[in-house]
Amino acid sequence: MRRVVVVGCGNPDAGDDAVGILAVREARARLEAIPGVRVIEGAIGPDLSDVLAESDAAVLVDAIRTSGVGRDPGTLVRVEAGPDGLPVETGVPLSSHGFGVAEAVGLAAALGPSPQVVFLGVEVADVTVGRLLSSAVRERFPQLVRSVLDEASRLAAPA
Amino acid sequence: MTHRTVEVPVIARVEGEGALHIAVEGDTITDLRLEIYEPPRFFEAFLAGRHFSEVPDIVPRICGICPVAYQMSAVHGLERLFGVAPPEGTRELRRLLYFGEWIESHILHVFLLAAPDFLGYPNAIELAKVQPDLVKMALQIKRVGNDLMAAIGGREIHPISPRVGGFSKAPRRKDLEAFLPRLAWALEQMPGIADFVASLPAPAFPRPVEMVSMVNEDEYPINEGAMASTDGRSWAFDEYETVTNELHVEHSNALHSVMADTQTPYFLGPLARVNLNAERLTPVARECADRAGLRIPEVDPFFSMAARVVEATLAIEGSIRIIEGYVAPDPPMAQVTPRAGRAMWATEAPRGTLYHRYDVAEDGTILEAKIVPPTSQNLRHMEEDLRLFVPDVLDRSDEELTRLCEMVVRNYDPCISCATHFLRLDIERR
Repeated sequence: MRRVVVVGCGNPDAGDDAVGILAVREARARLEAIPGVRVIEGAIGPDLSDVLAESDAAVLVDAIRTSGVGRDPGTLVRVEAGPDGLPVETGVPLSSHGFGVAEAVGLAAALGPSPQVVFLGVEVADVTVGRLLSSAVRERFPQLVRSVLDEASRLAAPA
Repeated sequence: MTHRTVEVPVIARVEGEGALHIAVEGDTITDLRLEIYEPPRFFEAFLAGRHFSEVPDIVPRICGICPVAYQMSAVHGLERLFGVAPPEGTRELRRLLYFGEWIESHILHVFLLAAPDFLGYPNAIELAKVQPDLVKMALQIKRVGNDLMAAIGGREIHPISPRVGGFSKAPRRKDLEAFLPRLAWALEQMPGIADFVASLPAPAFPRPVEMVSMVNEDEYPINEGAMASTDGRSWAFDEYETVTNELHVEHSNALHSVMADTQTPYFLGPLARVNLNAERLTPVARECADRAGLRIPEVDPFFSMAARVVEATLAIEGSIRIIEGYVAPDPPMAQVTPRAGRAMWATEAPRGTLYHRYDVAEDGTILEAKIVPPTSQNLRHMEEDLRLFVPDVLDRSDEELTRLCEMVVRNYDPCISCATHFLRLDIERR
């Protein structure tokens, strides 16, 4: 049985940054019904490399903010990690808090063997602490939940 | 004018606000502002009107890396106000839980942030490619800390067992004993890690500094003690808000702390703790301090990494001792009856002293909360360090200057919003 971990990342108290956590929470019961799938809500980057090392495949769901590309809030982005991790420029973060999802995936890949990783990102509108999801992100939320379920089912299926 | 922005092209974690603005005329800094976004202010407002029993579940959400610190400052303060004596064994179990957090946080910082910096790798991933065994070993030690937190706290992310009055559920002795071989293994690694840290090339930056931490005559302070500084000040938690002041600063939504009388900044964190509590170091921690080249008094902030290794060692030694003598508190929690008044307490979070104050109504409702995290207390000192450090390196490229400024800030391992990413450096040269 393939071990698949589905991780919702982000800050539950910061507007659209909660979207990853809320999506896996919404899908949890259906995800856990798939053999081999485990669900983690609210993991932070530094703890993620351990989780990845113990899995054959992972679906990571997180809020993103892209600079310079002009994506609309609510846009869903699907990225598969390659041998070097996710296609993101990484540097030394300013603090432990900067060690995020991309860093964790890169680290797991460097220490290998790394799992198959699918990243589902949602372009955010508002990440003010204390806010709820913005309407743009809320509108795409059902589609995100479906994507999470589809990806997890696909990854859990024997190759 | 040179404007340099370090940003991420394809996808990025949500970025908070972490930015450094430096304006230079010739070789003189005319303006320097470090802007950092902090979440606790929201939580202070969020706590008002809540029942005291909810506080241990709300405050750990402030920080994913040091949730225990927020819980511990809160529960100790409220217990003191309510006159509650938690069951025997609670004290040790809380110290053990907090040690788990120190191990996890310190090892994370040393290997995933500081070491790549000092070795000139762009990040921990590149370090892991070149020295995979080193990074695997570090992650294994870190994991011991995480697992201790999970075993005592009741779950992986934010601990749910700590309560005002004790724990909702105490771990069984045999569950904690299972950690002993892992802790013994981790302890064996630490002297080698201290040697590794000593071998790293670091900038030399001794500068005048008033260091502040808790002190405790009986043990290395974490949950209990009084306040002291390397300039000879001493005070109790009840005086925290009169001895220190938080200043509003125009360029930042974070507050800056200073000593109330002299209006000067102070420095918190592992290096301050080691300096003020060197006599309380445990044997292997002391050996690691020697091997890492940490001599007391040590005023160079670049020795913060060494101090983290020393404290991680102390936490491992302390964990072994606590588990060996562990008897599960039974019952795990004392009866708690709220009373009106003001609760004040501080504990030593991985990044320094974390002060909480709660004004509580008779029925246990929180009327007002004040949370003063170590990072906001250190902010003014970070700026001071940058002001002193930058003039000597102004001849470097913007890229190199950014890297050096990041290293200066990183010494503090600032607890910014969990979202904040790289430092964005704007430098105006005239």
